[in-house]
Amino acid sequence: MAEASAISKLMRIPVGFATVLKTLLKKPVTVQYPDEQRPMSARFRGRHHLKRYENGLERCIGCALCAAACPADAIYVEASENTNEQRFSPGERYSKTYEINMLRCIFCGYCEDACPTNAIVLEPIEFPTGYTREGMIYTKQMLLEVPPTGTPATPQVTQPGTFDRPIIPFPAIDSSV
Amino acid sequence: MEKHILLRDLDVPNIRDLAVYSQHEGYAAWKKAVTGMKPDEVITVVKDSGLRGRGGAGFPAGVKWSFIPKDVFPKYVTVNCDESEPGTFKDHHLIRHNPHQVIEGTALCAYAIGANVAYIYCRGEFREPAYELQKAIDDAYAAGLLGKNLFGSNYSLDIYVHLGAGAYICGEESALLESLEGKIGQPRLKPPFPAVSGLYSKPTVINNVETLANVPPIVLNGSAWYKQWGTEKSPGVKLFSVCGHVKNPGNYELPLGKYSIQELLEMAGGSMTGRPIKAVLPAGSSSPIIPASNFHAKLDYEAMAAIGSVLGSCSWIFMDDSVDMVWAARKMIRFFKHESCGKCTPCREGTHWALSVYDKLLSGKGTIEDVNLIGEVNKQIIGKCFCPLGEFATSSMTFTLKHFKQDYVDFIDQKKGGSDVYLKELARDHHLHELHSGVVSVNGIKVH
Amino acid sequence: MADLVNLTIDGKAVAVPKGTLIVDAAKTIQNDIPVFCYHPKLKPVGMCRMCLVEIGTPKMDPATRQVVKDDKGVVVIAWQPKLNTACTTPVSEGMAVRTQTTVVSDAREDVLEFLLTSHPLDCPICDKGGECPLQNLTLEHGPGNSRFEYENKQHNAKHVPLGDLIYLDRERCIQCSRCIRFQDDIADDHVLQFHERGRHMEIITLSEPGFDSYFSGNTSDICPVGALTTADFRFKARPWELGSSPSVCNHCAVGCNTTLNTRLDTKTGINEIKRVMPRQNEQVNEIWLCDKGRFVHHYTRAGDRLQKPLIRQNGQLVETTWERALDLVSSKLLGASSVAAVIGDRIANEDAHLLTKLVNSNAKGETRLSPALPASYADLARDYGVGVGFDMKQLGKGDVIVVVNGDVEEQAPVWFLRLRQAVVDRGAKLIVSNHRGTKLHRYAAHIARYEQGMAAQWAAQTDDAALSTEELTKARNVLFVFGDEKLDAVSARGLAQILVGKLVAAGQIGKPNSGLLPLYPHGNTQGVFDIVAGTRHSGNPGVLSVDVAWLVGVGDTSDAPKARFSVVSELFMTALASVADVVLPALSFAEREGTYTSGDRRVQRFYRALPAVGQAKPDWWAVQEVARRMGFVWNFASPAQIFTDLAANVSYYSGLGYEVLAKTESQWPPVGRDDLYYGGTGYENDGGIGVRYASNPSVISAPTLPKMITSMSDLKGPARKLYQTGELIKRSDVMQTHIE
Repeated sequence: MAEASAISKLMRIPVGFATVLKTLLKKPVTVQYPDEQRPMSARFRGRHHLKRYENGLERCIGCALCAAACPADAIYVEASENTNEQRFSPGERYSKTYEINMLRCIFCGYCEDACPTNAIVLEPIEFPTGYTREGMIYTKQMLLEVPPTGTPATPQVTQPGTFDRPIIPFPAIDSSV
Repeated sequence: MEKHILLRDLDVPNIRDLAVYSQHEGYAAWKKAVTGMKPDEVITVVKDSGLRGRGGAGFPAGVKWSFIPKDVFPKYVTVNCDESEPGTFKDHHLIRHNPHQVIEGTALCAYAIGANVAYIYCRGEFREPAYELQKAIDDAYAAGLLGKNLFGSNYSLDIYVHLGAGAYICGEESALLESLEGKIGQPRLKPPFPAVSGLYSKPTVINNVETLANVPPIVLNGSAWYKQWGTEKSPGVKLFSVCGHVKNPGNYELPLGKYSIQELLEMAGGSMTGRPIKAVLPAGSSSPIIPASNFHAKLDYEAMAAIGSVLGSCSWIFMDDSVDMVWAARKMIRFFKHESCGKCTPCREGTHWALSVYDKLLSGKGTIEDVNLIGEVNKQIIGKCFCPLGEFATSSMTFTLKHFKQDYVDFIDQKKGGSDVYLKELARDHHLHELHSGVVSVNGIKVH
Repeated sequence: MADLVNLTIDGKAVAVPKGTLIVDAAKTIQNDIPVFCYHPKLKPVGMCRMCLVEIGTPKMDPATRQVVKDDKGVVVIAWQPKLNTACTTPVSEGMAVRTQTTVVSDAREDVLEFLLTSHPLDCPICDKGGECPLQNLTLEHGPGNSRFEYENKQHNAKHVPLGDLIYLDRERCIQCSRCIRFQDDIADDHVLQFHERGRHMEIITLSEPGFDSYFSGNTSDICPVGALTTADFRFKARPWELGSSPSVCNHCAVGCNTTLNTRLDTKTGINEIKRVMPRQNEQVNEIWLCDKGRFVHHYTRAGDRLQKPLIRQNGQLVETTWERALDLVSSKLLGASSVAAVIGDRIANEDAHLLTKLVNSNAKGETRLSPALPASYADLARDYGVGVGFDMKQLGKGDVIVVVNGDVEEQAPVWFLRLRQAVVDRGAKLIVSNHRGTKLHRYAAHIARYEQGMAAQWAAQTDDAALSTEELTKARNVLFVFGDEKLDAVSARGLAQILVGKLVAAGQIGKPNSGLLPLYPHGNTQGVFDIVAGTRHSGNPGVLSVDVAWLVGVGDTSDAPKARFSVVSELFMTALASVADVVLPALSFAEREGTYTSGDRRVQRFYRALPAVGQAKPDWWAVQEVARRMGFVWNFASPAQIFTDLAANVSYYSGLGYEVLAKTESQWPPVGRDDLYYGGTGYENDGGIGVRYASNPSVISAPTLPKMITSMSDLKGPARKLYQTGELIKRSDVMQTHIE
């Protein structure tokens, strides 16, 4: 037994070399992240985005249900009141502060589930990275989408009575969902 | 009948004038009572006469008066002239054409229970008749029939006329009292009943105009005289306001229990259009509808109950077979939605909901599911309301569905909804609704 | 107990006092009948129809008037044909109630479906979301879905300012009338009313300015939906995100129990009070709170809070370290020939005790309560105050309440609510005597008047039959509520003495509900007085002249001593602080723990809710540090230890301790339970209901009748209004338009 095992041990050396030689000719599997990126599943949950309606108003109404649903306690929302002169979102409430601590986030997507207006979406296109702890706290400005072309950024000035209520279906606007 | 007891203006021209009324035994009962009878004797006469409340509930008037505690002062008499039931116009007739009999009846009631103040609460729309009534009261004051130390006794009485703001709910006695006190017209929690804690938390008798108009002849002629009309349990005469598809609409004074619905219809000249009469609402929109098959019933409280309806305020709306019951029920529900006081949830929300479903039917978008939904919503309201008027709102749905379910089925099957007539009606109602509620539209979204 | 009524609810036997409503009887056995319009503190109306139950009474044989029994001897119940409201029906003997049948649960579903046809489903943005009875009850009893078409929902105005403190959302309102009834039945400010009818029925305010009431914030608490919100808390935070700390309001003598709801604010980067909610204490404030207590908290996070100690160098106050400031103070104190401490009446007992202890170590040390006037009568108010078992809820028929020289609504608002109920609802006799009109005059059976400043003279000479010894002797209890408005020290004491004299003469001493009830200016007047009174203290106002003076939380008092060297512990740079030699930054009540003693001598704990501002420290810490530098071996680690020392030194407080004060008992009616039927998450009292220490009636000296006041300059006590300007209220934005 001892003899046979010595031979088989020796045999491993050429087998090992053969593997190395074979692989030398192959294209490597690893990619030079972040310069190179692998294609991700369309349903991959990457970094959060705060969405807007087609007219540029923010979808987020500052209800903080995402924060309540968050198992990692990564989201911090502070709400305030919209006016027609300074309107961020339809309805009375908008998020004045919206912060996600990406170091705490476990990308479970519960915030998406909880959101009544489909405002927060975990998109597969970006992965949060950073050099400092502070830098990993993403603020509302970082999370918020740019307004669709041709629409003003928030806050907007709106006509009284047009955007009094949140969540109500806006047929023209809600088609993006 | 040889001579009218209530509609005496038909026999005696100008009986609205005090002089004419006085010549025809006017205020004789009043003088007889104040000068010669004890208050309890008046109550006894009225109790013996078996006079039942003519407002709708039919509670014996004398019994109601006897509930008033003797030792609490002040007490009040309140006359319910908030005649708001669609189709009713008897009280209106009385205060306009025979006001002194109403005043005398009110005075007798006040004397009987020992009240020194009486209020006649007229609905807001009765501006002109209320002024007439006030004029009659002024005349009575001038003639020394009202005021201080009447007929040399130490009994004084003041009668005031009060105009409401036009609300169906104020026909409910406790809501009437709230309104009279200057509050929003909403019914009160009972008990305590008005006989214990009524107007300004004092014992109060509330009677219908017609009830009190019966009192002077009863006091003058005695209870036996009055009992010659009517039945054992429903003695006396009653006013029947007849309208709808009849040739001769108007008020009819008939003894109770003597005639049937069919006879009443014939008295009113039968169908106006020549088409057969399909059904009748015996007491306005709050009452269970009676299909023609039940027109044999006699006109008294018990017989009406036997066919599953009520005598109520006796506002008979006859409808011929051109009337679609879906349309009729919607009309009634719209009335109740508009008149709901809003105090209790089922009536406030239920009538609105039911109307929105009826509107859907009329607009042509309804399905048989919606007909079922009306039944469901109706069931959800029944038995849960704060006051009887909430329950009244359901009878139009309950009984049109019960007796005329086929109308609903046909309405859906034959796609009657969505016709020009209905759409116009919906548009007009919607416009009226906006006018009433002050809703204005900004950029297509309604704001208050 | 003769007046107990027996009934069965779902087969369970219950015995409750006569007159109890079914809904409350069910609560006693944890059977929560859902309600919207009903509130245990308000009169029932039966509007919402949510509480419908099956009710039956024993069947009576009409002939024999006997209860009918079946063959097994069980009483036959005659069930009412219709469901009836549990919130308006009082219990009766032998009554049977069914709350769990299909009929009842269907009715609940039906009513909820009706309510939700009008209600906007915007819970995510609603401030009530999370503590909303409509939400809770819909989850528990609701139909799950609605057949009502969403597009048919009525849209109403969502932003209606009723006043500048309360906003109405007409869409959310379910027309329960709790707010109207609170204003009518409890506050007696008839400023809200229904307008229109049916589905258009809405709440309007009748007053100008809108919602003109000192108690408006309470309507937002009892609102079963998010229809009424306060300007202060609107859209600030969700209820479940808030930290919650029990506290005690220190703005008046009532000592209302509060809950401070706190949360991090990213703008300042520090926790702040988001709202102040009443904490249920049936002995003190029930579940009410005045708008001052609710909205004045903003000073705790005002931008001009003192953050660092300051010392005077070359005529200027410059920032320094605690070390240097404390060294300076201790060195000055060591060398001082005479020392005075002036202690404001919002300062916690612990701080007052430690400072008093330190100052009295000086041979010529003196302590003084600020404002000084209450010190002239606080001993009488304490020793002849109400008894240990005092309960304003027990005052009623047969009791006499005399209010002398005080405006209870302005000076102790929640006492106003409770006294009013004792008079209006329970029939106590109210006698009001004042030099001006007050709101309590409305309910007075008897009114007396006198000239301004003449309260004591009036009390001494009055021959009012209503206040005669015979009348007062006949009374079940006699409660004297009195204030020092426009009185000087002599008159104020004189008035108290005369009132005590009347109590003694009428034999009303030693009863729990008889005695004096003083309208002190602030929340710890009694406590600070109790501590300084046992030592050398200047009870009488007058300008002291001392070597070193230490002023703690006195604001801008006019009776500060003249001192060669003055130390001021303050929250803000007041006028007095700006002329001091050392200014020490102090912590507000929300940033520390301690105890207050209310006007009716209830010692109550408040807890730390917020972190400190800058380097500010509690006053007791500064005092202890100074004392250590002066050679005292003090090792008090927390207010709890100081209180133990206080209880050992001040006889009135013996037996008290933090554990005792933290004790709670179950409150009735239960509004703070987790069923949340009455709304609000702040009601639960987990911080202690406090303990009232015993009074010590002894023979009083003959009243010294004050001399006539002849000139206005003699007048002392101010006519205090609830919203008069001050260091604290002026830092609250929402209160700006209310400050008088």
